[in-house]
Amino acid sequence: MNALRRHRALTRIWASDPGWKGWFTTVNHTDLGRMFLFVAVFFFVIGGILAMLIRAQLATPRSAFVGPDIYNQIFTMHGTIMMFLFAIPLFEGLAVYLLPKILGTRDLAFPRLTAYGFWCYVFGGSLLIVSLLAGIAPDSGWFMYPPLSSRIASPGINTDFWLLGITFVEISAICASVEITVTVLRYRAPGMSLPRMPIFAWYALVTAVMILTGFPPLILGSILLELERAFGMPFFQVEHGGDSLLWQHLFWLFGHPEVYIIFLPAAGVVSMILPVMARTTLLGYGWIVAAAVTLGVLSFGLWVHHMFTTGIPHMGLAFFSAASTLVAVPTGVQIFAWIGTIWKGSPQLKLPMMWILAFFATFVIGGLTGVMVAVVPFDWQVHDTHFIVAHLHYVLVGGFVFPMLAALYYWMPHATGRKRFFKLGETAFWLISIGFHVTFLAVHWVGLLGQRRRIHTYDEGQGWEVINLVASVGGFVTAVGFALVIVDVALNAAVAIRGSRDPWQAGTLEWAMPTPPPAYNFASLPLIESRNPLYDDPDLPVCLVRGEGYLGDPSRGRRETLTLEVASGKPAYVVIFPTNTALPILMAFVTGGIFVGMLLKLYWLVPLAALGVAAIVVRWVWSLGSKRDEGPLEVGRGLTLPLASEAADPPGWWGSLFLLLANATLFGSLLFGYAFLWTVAPNWPPPNYLEPGLVGPALVLGGTALSMAGIRLARWKLRCGGGPWLGLLLSVVGAVGTGMAAGTLLLRTSFDAHAYSATIWVIGGYVLFHAGLVGGMITFLTLRAAAGYVAGRRVGEARIVQLWIDYTAAVALLGLGVAWLPGVLT
Amino acid sequence: MKDILRISVPLTVWLAAFSAVYGLEGLVCSHRWAEAGLSLAAGRGILLAAWALAVALQTMLLLVLRSPRFASPSGFARSVSLTLAGVALVATAWTLLPVAATSLCL
Repeated sequence: MNALRRHRALTRIWASDPGWKGWFTTVNHTDLGRMFLFVAVFFFVIGGILAMLIRAQLATPRSAFVGPDIYNQIFTMHGTIMMFLFAIPLFEGLAVYLLPKILGTRDLAFPRLTAYGFWCYVFGGSLLIVSLLAGIAPDSGWFMYPPLSSRIASPGINTDFWLLGITFVEISAICASVEITVTVLRYRAPGMSLPRMPIFAWYALVTAVMILTGFPPLILGSILLELERAFGMPFFQVEHGGDSLLWQHLFWLFGHPEVYIIFLPAAGVVSMILPVMARTTLLGYGWIVAAAVTLGVLSFGLWVHHMFTTGIPHMGLAFFSAASTLVAVPTGVQIFAWIGTIWKGSPQLKLPMMWILAFFATFVIGGLTGVMVAVVPFDWQVHDTHFIVAHLHYVLVGGFVFPMLAALYYWMPHATGRKRFFKLGETAFWLISIGFHVTFLAVHWVGLLGQRRRIHTYDEGQGWEVINLVASVGGFVTAVGFALVIVDVALNAAVAIRGSRDPWQAGTLEWAMPTPPPAYNFASLPLIESRNPLYDDPDLPVCLVRGEGYLGDPSRGRRETLTLEVASGKPAYVVIFPTNTALPILMAFVTGGIFVGMLLKLYWLVPLAALGVAAIVVRWVWSLGSKRDEGPLEVGRGLTLPLASEAADPPGWWGSLFLLLANATLFGSLLFGYAFLWTVAPNWPPPNYLEPGLVGPALVLGGTALSMAGIRLARWKLRCGGGPWLGLLLSVVGAVGTGMAAGTLLLRTSFDAHAYSATIWVIGGYVLFHAGLVGGMITFLTLRAAAGYVAGRRVGEARIVQLWIDYTAAVALLGLGVAWLPGVLT
Repeated sequence: MKDILRISVPLTVWLAAFSAVYGLEGLVCSHRWAEAGLSLAAGRGILLAAWALAVALQTMLLLVLRSPRFASPSGFARSVSLTLAGVALVATAWTLLPVAATSLCL
């Protein structure tokens, strides 16, 4: 088969549906990555317009431009949009577009999940924008602190839009993170061992794991606050045993890692682009990997430094102050590695490099002011002033937006296949760089002079007038610069001349494919022997197009790619991807019913939508797998591999593993909240603690033992070629027992009497939900076995169900145990 | 996957120890500690013991990751995991230093 025929055959197999239908049914990572990036930029424009409204309001004292109510909505939505609808989704978009290309594979691990995440993002983000247009947008600040955001202080629907809209959007982040984690660990080009991975893949891996462990505390906090607002469960009300500080802990358990979730992908981008711009290779690859991992973990030990003024004892403050100063060390390691890379190379001052230099200057300043506010006495002076506003903008704009502009100009020739012709980008660079520093140096200054954040106006005569006016002028110059970037990109994408395949002479695999990239990425998958395969073998792209790599024969007519062993990069299985489908958008739409039902108090819609989601999930999963064993398949270069669906650890098992990591973090956060209230909430103990009795403990012990033993019996019978029916029956009976044990908690407490009983309700509800979930999974597995999908070598699905059963058993024993513990002790 | 564990375990242990000691400090400073008839001096002693235990655990992890039995066969994973074990040891010693150096419940 010649290259052109191979290209046509692969395009037929991998391409999205033609025309407008393709937008809604595509599961292709290149298309979805572009769609993610486009929507993120759209939200950035909205957030930017809100920023200009803020600066217009603050430009002069006693401004009558907007009143306090509207101003509250504007600054809340500016922060919310930039953090949740722009920064994180932009990373997701970049990773979705780029990862399979730099890893040398054909798509992400779960293509339909990518699409589902994208549509959840679009629908959730749209909810928030609708609230903005209707004048009922969230208005309690992007931290959404109670009691300001509680029903008493904010009785309107504004806060509910935030709590529900953001949680909806976070489904997208969790989906993308599961996707990214499994892809980086398992879906790479053969031979790409861990030390041969492109550096961005390490950063994406660390960031994705951070999202999986950082977002659940906020999801939990949002659920608890919405439950309080909707049903009066008093988690944050002091008079009923709650504590508003619990929200701050849950929010910043998410919020501080969030800063690094935003920064680390940008650092990954810098580490990819800088060596190419300096005509060399990255200095200190291993040190940078270690620094990224260090930053990722240390960032989870910093959350209280946002709470230095809440009255926490000095020792507690000192822990977090020490951790906050420590975090400067791995950041410094990266900065020095980048400087060393420039030093050993021959840097060229092209536009991506100019943005990287702007990043260096801005981020280092932001980092230094970060060390200043990590010192408790200084933080007490500047807390809630514009100094903090300036610091966070230096870190987030300097540490994320500038590197992303470098990424935009670096990978634009890849995405468009065109050579940049119009040079508006250079003008935009100077406008943005100068405008930004004029704005936020002034904002630092006015903050040190005492201007509070979140005040809609100020009086004359405080010495702030000229500084604010200068900041506003700088802000508008910055906005003109960003508008020029958009015009520049649109012009170059639409009308610039065709470019070469590898315009920067880079060494990584994304430049080994035709540009713009074909739907299948690589006509055949390469064998990797170093970190920069194109430097080793400049003819590699030609070899791949000729089909000389793996899976170069499209005659099976399926979307096939390979998975690897995690560390060694040795090929392990052949994966068959699903084809185009409208299921993801449909499921995201129906998922929206759950959130809209809660938002509009149409509670009948919530279970209806949940049932709809369950039905679509069944349809979704049923289409996977096969009714017969195919055995080893020829994959090229003399290698044969089994199908992933005939493996003990299919991709779904890995996806479940990381989804359960996020789930476990949410459960851990719930237990943390319970312990926090038990330890420090002023109105504890409650009038009475729940006593376990005998029935509940017997049910949970028997139920968990039965379900765990049952699924193991089923797997053993399957391995022996027998029927799994008895084991599955025992498992489902065990799940029912576990659910009944959780039900005793709900029946014997009142959800709105005290924060204790409300927490017990949530723990009981969590266990009950999981018992129901595994009950459904076991029933589904039974139907799959009856239909012939689970038999012979195809027992991976049973192992996935076992993982969920074991998790449910663990949370049931732990959750119900701690619920009953105070009753046993008193 | 074992290499990923070797790389991720030391700092995860630091995070667990850090959170546990912070939680313990919260408990020592709560009214429940006094209600149980325990003194602040006893609380300080327990915090110091927890810090020492955490440092000992990190030291042990570092030694384990150096040992031929548990060290990674990959040079890259071995050097990164040892670096991170060293980082975790320093982080434990530094971030929990306040148990010996600052006032307890002020």
